[in-house]
Amino acid sequence: MTDERTTVMEITLIEGAHLADLVSQFLELLDEGGSSGTRPPDDPALARLVPDAYRGDADAAREFRALTASDLLNRRRDDARAVLDDLSPGGRGLHTVDLSPDSLAETLPVTLTTARGRAWLRTLNALRLVLATRLGIEDEDDHDAGDRRFAVYDWLGYRLDGLVAALGR
Amino acid sequence: MGTTTPDLDEITRLDETPQADRPWQTVVWNDPVNLMSYVVHVFREYFGYAPEVATRLMLAVHQEGRAVVAEGAREQMELHTQAMHDYGLWATVQQAPA
Repeated sequence: MTDERTTVMEITLIEGAHLADLVSQFLELLDEGGSSGTRPPDDPALARLVPDAYRGDADAAREFRALTASDLLNRRRDDARAVLDDLSPGGRGLHTVDLSPDSLAETLPVTLTTARGRAWLRTLNALRLVLATRLGIEDEDDHDAGDRRFAVYDWLGYRLDGLVAALGR
Repeated sequence: MGTTTPDLDEITRLDETPQADRPWQTVVWNDPVNLMSYVVHVFREYFGYAPEVATRLMLAVHQEGRAVVAEGAREQMELHTQAMHDYGLWATVQQAPA
């Protein structure tokens, strides 16, 4: 028995399946991008996850990056894998193609410890950062209603905001 | 009054804190992605700031484009900056301006 408090987050299967797909793509991106070296990753979405820590001091920025970047990106992997694990009821991953029309709106309860909740928050936020880079979002008003990726971006924000509130209670 | 005008060297010394004495800072920068609620959450959880303090800092980031969220030794500010990056916030280390 543990007295650690937990939070239950309910997510519909269709949401969970799409999220699992995004997280899997994120893991592929992390694996492709490499995680070492003193130069920023070539992919701007990955570079946003390990930004320069010094402005106007390239040497200090390089040194900081050499010490921290691989740790930061490894932690992203661990977080993402934890989220995927939570989205695999009974050890089976959720996939949109496996879902019957009747089951789409069924909910999957995800029980989060404080530590697990943090992994979720960091991952939802990282997915938004990656998507924002891909969508070229530079301003809070940047939005294209015709591009469904913006709907995904907004949905991630909605889930992140809800989880911040739930974990803060 | 019998005060004498201080010479130029003295004025310069008074105006400038020696570089070595200036503290280091962790600065968080605004970006269009991070949600206000999430930024407040990070400031509360990581720094242990009271809700009012965390909210004031978040608003400074949002409205002024940046905020100094911690001040102290350089190594400590680097640790804070790494932690901010871990949360996905855009943070840098700098020495306090003269």
